[in-house]
Amino acid sequence: MTYLSQPTEGLRIEFPATLEAAREAVCEIIGWLESHHLDRDECGTWELVLAEATTNAVTHSSSEQTLQIEATCSAAHTQIRITDHSEGFEWPEEACLPEDDENEHGRGLFIIQSLTDHCSYLRGRGKNVLDLQRERKTAPPPVEDLATTLDLMTAEVSSCYETLANIFSLCAEAARDVSPEELASNWLRQLLEISGADFLALRMLTPDGALLEDIANAARLSKAGNEAELVEVNHSQPTTRSLSIPFINLNRADLIESRAVTLRQDQWFDGSSDFHQDDPLSHWSTSISGVAHPLEIGGEVIGVLTVGVFCDHWEPKARDINVVRSLGDFLGTLLHSLRRRDDANHSRLIKRELQIAADIQRSLLPDELPQSATLQCAGHLTTAGEVGGDFMDGIALADGGRLFVIADVMGKGVPAALFATAFRSLLHSHLDLAAQPCELMKCLNTSLFAELDRAEMFITVELAWISADGFTLRTCNAGHGPLLLTDGIQVSEIGADGPPLGISIDEAYTHQEVSLKGVTHLLLHTDGLSDSTLPEDSGLSRDRLHRWLINTSVEGIDAWSSRDTLRQMHHDHQDNARAQDDATFVVLARENALLSPPRNQTLTHASR
Amino acid sequence: MNATAIIAPAELCSTTSRQWKERITKDLTEQAQEISIDLSKTRFIDSSGLGVLLSLNKTLRAKGGVLKLLNPSSAVAQLIELTRLHRVFEIVHA
Repeated sequence: MTYLSQPTEGLRIEFPATLEAAREAVCEIIGWLESHHLDRDECGTWELVLAEATTNAVTHSSSEQTLQIEATCSAAHTQIRITDHSEGFEWPEEACLPEDDENEHGRGLFIIQSLTDHCSYLRGRGKNVLDLQRERKTAPPPVEDLATTLDLMTAEVSSCYETLANIFSLCAEAARDVSPEELASNWLRQLLEISGADFLALRMLTPDGALLEDIANAARLSKAGNEAELVEVNHSQPTTRSLSIPFINLNRADLIESRAVTLRQDQWFDGSSDFHQDDPLSHWSTSISGVAHPLEIGGEVIGVLTVGVFCDHWEPKARDINVVRSLGDFLGTLLHSLRRRDDANHSRLIKRELQIAADIQRSLLPDELPQSATLQCAGHLTTAGEVGGDFMDGIALADGGRLFVIADVMGKGVPAALFATAFRSLLHSHLDLAAQPCELMKCLNTSLFAELDRAEMFITVELAWISADGFTLRTCNAGHGPLLLTDGIQVSEIGADGPPLGISIDEAYTHQEVSLKGVTHLLLHTDGLSDSTLPEDSGLSRDRLHRWLINTSVEGIDAWSSRDTLRQMHHDHQDNARAQDDATFVVLARENALLSPPRNQTLTHASR
Repeated sequence: MNATAIIAPAELCSTTSRQWKERITKDLTEQAQEISIDLSKTRFIDSSGLGVLLSLNKTLRAKGGVLKLLNPSSAVAQLIELTRLHRVFEIVHA
């Protein structure tokens, strides 16, 4: 069998004049017709017609002769010619069925004529041609417009290149020290230029995943002819139009952007969409159309990018949508990473600041507390976090007296540490007033008031001055807890009430003078040591503190052992109460102290 | 009545019909009085195939028997209709 192929116009097959070869040729022709989109019924009809025609041709030919089938196919017709080289036969004008229904032969020509629209038999010398034609019942698919296809492919490649180039540029910009919002604004503006859209809106999920936060918008606010004015709208550059709704709730299924994120599907909208009055998209214009595209990273939705135009209907090019989706997805991923990076940097910064504040706080503490033969003292400071506002000091005065100070600056962190620094400097520069604690307190208040008031902060202070002979105590209190003292029989709370520093500039503080004759132990402490609101059996209550102090006196325990015991009690109480608070205290022991204190363990500091 | 069922081939045309006829004629017993040709598997049939069926029908009827055509496909049924052989054959759609 010889194939003389004419790939697009037709097919010609030459084959020996045998039934088997004819059958094979017919099957080839039918396969070719199928490839030219003739439907199954048409192919079935042609198969029958060709079977009858080739059988006739074989019947009238000798086996040494050859036959030819030529098939052509146009949009309207199918034409097939069968050529044989026999002597041929008389082709009837109109073929009929046999008169006898049961006759086994004589139906072939009838079938051929019945199933074709045109049928002619040209009988020649040594060559006969049967020409068969049928109209096509099914139209072939439209011929591909190669120029259009090429244009589309070029545009596709171009958009891919453009997208890739923009991604590179986006990466380069992200590497600079730029905020996520600034990066988003810059990029939405560029995306607007290449996407063919009139506006773009980017929202990102808040860390708790409950809200969609407005990150940036970009829009062409006016159009004149072919020139469009490009205006960017974002948090840092608000326009006269109040487009921005900072947050929208993800539960609002009636808002298009929320719905896109919740369903994780593009949400298309146009002039026929029913916008809820709260929908931020409806604020763009009275007639808009576009799509809200959810942004995902690793299967997790992180935001939504909305792109649209200021008209009721929009049929964006596939290329434009691809650019928006690709760059939107990448931008969303980049912003997500940048935000996480910023959060991590912020955390590191805060930790560093707290570390600085802790260093400041430690630098304010005296290396050792002053000791004498008649007065032992030991102190302890516990900070619950990195840094607290507690402050303590013990100063040996020039006249042999002692000044002990406990203070608590409101708040924590660097601001509290800075005020503690200022407080200490003022305190040490006015030690000439130490024997008159009320005057010293007034001086401190006057000096610090303006700064404390401006910062809306305050400081509670307890000043305790003990005379050189150790028998007189003068104490002044500015919003602090009372000083405790005991003679082994009872506990007295000493504290003239005055407001904390920074509350009132004209405050006149007073001090109390107490004879320490018979007193064995004194305790200055901050509120963190005990909590008067606690039940008796639940922790380090004030009553328990009193009992501890009497017991310490009765047993004649020296200052640093007392300090260690109280520190352990406080530690255990904090664990039991699962609470954490700063606690600072100073224990003074007098007269009956028999042991000299270790030189460098008079002050301890612990962090929890 | 002695009945026999025969399944026709997928293609019953000039290249296959004669051989098929010879085979079933040999297999048919003298006692067969009703033969059912199952055409449900027959995708294509031409005038040669129809001729074989007519021949079988004639032979069987001469013996007092009956030929039935079972479940022809729509294409085969349309050809039988076109050639008006539905007036000759007993066609059964199960």
